[in-house]
Amino acid sequence: MTLEPNSIAELQELLPQSQRVGGVSLEAVAELVEHVPEDMTAIAQVGMTLAEFQSRLAKANQWLPIDPPHPETVTIGELLANNLNGPRRFGYGTIRDWLIGLAVVLPDGRLIRNGGKVVKNVAGFDLCRLFVGAKNELGVIVEAAFKLLPMPEAEAHLAKRCDSLGQAEELLEKIWASDLQPMVLDLHRIDGEPVTLVVGFAGPSADVETQSDAANALGFAAEASLDYDARFRQTAPNFSSLAPGNLISALRNLSDEPFVARAGNGVIYHASAIPSEAPSPDLQKRVKAIFDPKGVLAG
Amino acid sequence: MSMNREPNKEQLTRRLAKIVGKDAVLADERELVVYECDAYTLQRNSPTAVVLPRSTEEVAAVVRLCAEMDVPIIPRGAGTSLSGAVLAVDGGVMIALTRMNRVLNIDPRNRRALVEAGCVNAWITRDASAHGLFYAPDPSSQTACTIGGNIATNSGGPHTLKNGVTTNHVLGYEMILPDGTIEWLGAEPDGGEEVGGYDLRGAAIGSEGMFGVVTTVLVRLMKTPPAFKTFLCVFESVDEASQAVSGIIAAGIVPAALEMMDQLITQALEEAYHFGFPLDAGAVLIVELDGLAKGVEQQAKRVEEVCLQNNASEVRLAKDDAERAALWKCRKRAFGAIGRLSPNYVTQDGVVPRSKLPEIMRFIRSVSDKYELRIPNVFHAGDGNIHPLILYDEREPDQVKRALQAGHDILDKCIELGGSVTGEHGIGAEKIDFMAKQFSKDDLDAMQQLRRVFDPDKRCNPHKMFPGAKRCAEFAQRAQITA
Repeated sequence: MTLEPNSIAELQELLPQSQRVGGVSLEAVAELVEHVPEDMTAIAQVGMTLAEFQSRLAKANQWLPIDPPHPETVTIGELLANNLNGPRRFGYGTIRDWLIGLAVVLPDGRLIRNGGKVVKNVAGFDLCRLFVGAKNELGVIVEAAFKLLPMPEAEAHLAKRCDSLGQAEELLEKIWASDLQPMVLDLHRIDGEPVTLVVGFAGPSADVETQSDAANALGFAAEASLDYDARFRQTAPNFSSLAPGNLISALRNLSDEPFVARAGNGVIYHASAIPSEAPSPDLQKRVKAIFDPKGVLAG
Repeated sequence: MSMNREPNKEQLTRRLAKIVGKDAVLADERELVVYECDAYTLQRNSPTAVVLPRSTEEVAAVVRLCAEMDVPIIPRGAGTSLSGAVLAVDGGVMIALTRMNRVLNIDPRNRRALVEAGCVNAWITRDASAHGLFYAPDPSSQTACTIGGNIATNSGGPHTLKNGVTTNHVLGYEMILPDGTIEWLGAEPDGGEEVGGYDLRGAAIGSEGMFGVVTTVLVRLMKTPPAFKTFLCVFESVDEASQAVSGIIAAGIVPAALEMMDQLITQALEEAYHFGFPLDAGAVLIVELDGLAKGVEQQAKRVEEVCLQNNASEVRLAKDDAERAALWKCRKRAFGAIGRLSPNYVTQDGVVPRSKLPEIMRFIRSVSDKYELRIPNVFHAGDGNIHPLILYDEREPDQVKRALQAGHDILDKCIELGGSVTGEHGIGAEKIDFMAKQFSKDDLDAMQQLRRVFDPDKRCNPHKMFPGAKRCAEFAQRAQITA
């Protein structure tokens, strides 16, 4: 069943009376609670779309450096519940790295807060990270505080089509060992096209220029778009995860299957990927049993 | 709580010795003195015994024995915690990881290091630097503190402004749960960084040793940036230095580190280490930029402008690596230099939103006047993480009382300004009373739910963090251990 409460209070009331809630639409809970540019922090309610959040932050030339597909429809809540991210993950990490506080409605209706709104804080246990990626199976996230970054002065993405995975590997290793500091390091083979290596740089314009020149010298062509990520992941939402050094051999095993890979992170999106089993199954079950003993939430 | 407060000590130590060997069990009162507190010395109590295991298997066997005998366990690294996190409030078996201190593997291709929990923080970078890599979190005690302890407190350090804290750099670790089960949480040494299920790795970092005993740790290494510029910026007042901090952030620059020291600190440091700090400056900022050469150059110009706009009397650039290293050495030894100013001090650790720095610094001055105690400040200005050092003399009971009260006032103010009572030192035994001020009862109950996942019997590092916990009978009465 799906809930569509009009407020946090209504969600607190509805949840304890429900069973196996599979989705909560919080479109009505979508305010920007606070954005303090001097602190580089912001608090948003989860019904707000990522694109709306970014456009509000952009007024102060700041952003949340997470770039999942379809920001115009993805809400802050979905971003957190599913730990979504995109090509810039190599440079900026995941939403866990930027989250500093949460408000969550627990299955019994209690509204709890964890963390806070300051960028450094170790008071109490870290429930924030537990709830990220938990798909709202332990509680429903309603509000989140983030630390932010200034928008980079410049950003450039470059691509090179390779003749083979072997050639891509050679280039990749060259970049890995160099002084270049790519924020994007992707490999893809989609739409029947050859293997393509994508690099992205961001930061002070002088650095972006120098690094782009260096990439040009390696045969990369400028002005690549990153839209392959959203397009391809619609057809292949699941991924395999492995140590980055094992990436190429894993790609070889895919034979001709199309893929998008985060080469720096060791993540490969492809159609035949199977979501990985959770390790420590006893602990996992205990988490669910303790936070949602009555099975109010699905999962 | 049904813990076995007075286990048969003779039987306990005999059975412990069977597991780890006689030389790895300390039970004599004289030997235990070292383990009766950490760097927070206001509360002390001896554990029933200390064990020094050498392997995961030994740790697990010790933990299973303690479960069987229903004895508390207290994991301990180097004991550098500043909040009494490793205090044996009610006795129990302290498991010290100091003999499990090896760097097991540096994996340059995957930019990872596998180390034992007792490995000293600085040793990771020492071994990784040959590959142009480093381990980012750098607490001031990094030449002594262990990576296991860093996980317990989610340690930060001066360079966390840009790079983040421990939880952002620990990929996975092995932990012995209080029932003796061995679990690996997060990414495995040869595995991917994405792990299915709930993020138990993240949930247990910063749990102050209350969820189990960490034995082996997989950390992320970063590439050493090719260029650094480190400035010492001199200001007439703390206010002007605070304004410069805001100005640098407003200019869209995130320095690698942005640290402030006030006059009392620089004077003490100068006397101790003769770095060349100006003695008449109200405050100095250390601003470190890192990255690629041109960008660092571009940002350096901007930093200089911002500082001069805020009336910096001098913006001095460290001329080479040696001078940069000397500056950081001074900064990280600042607490040590305080010994020259006062027989005792309490290091406080609060956080405010960056924009509230001028306000909290003014408040600290008023507290200093009110309680007639000197309060030097050395802190992570870029993070809004303050470290007022409240000086007192423990031979005068009234001063002890005033020092504690001054600390409380400052922490209350941090909460009022939207901050936190700890940015990196943790709650431990010290700040229990503040938890109910910063969090609601429901917030705290949710934390206890998480605790139940790992330690349903509340036997692992008990009497910490939560209001209502038992305290040591002996509080602030004895002379400090002379190390």
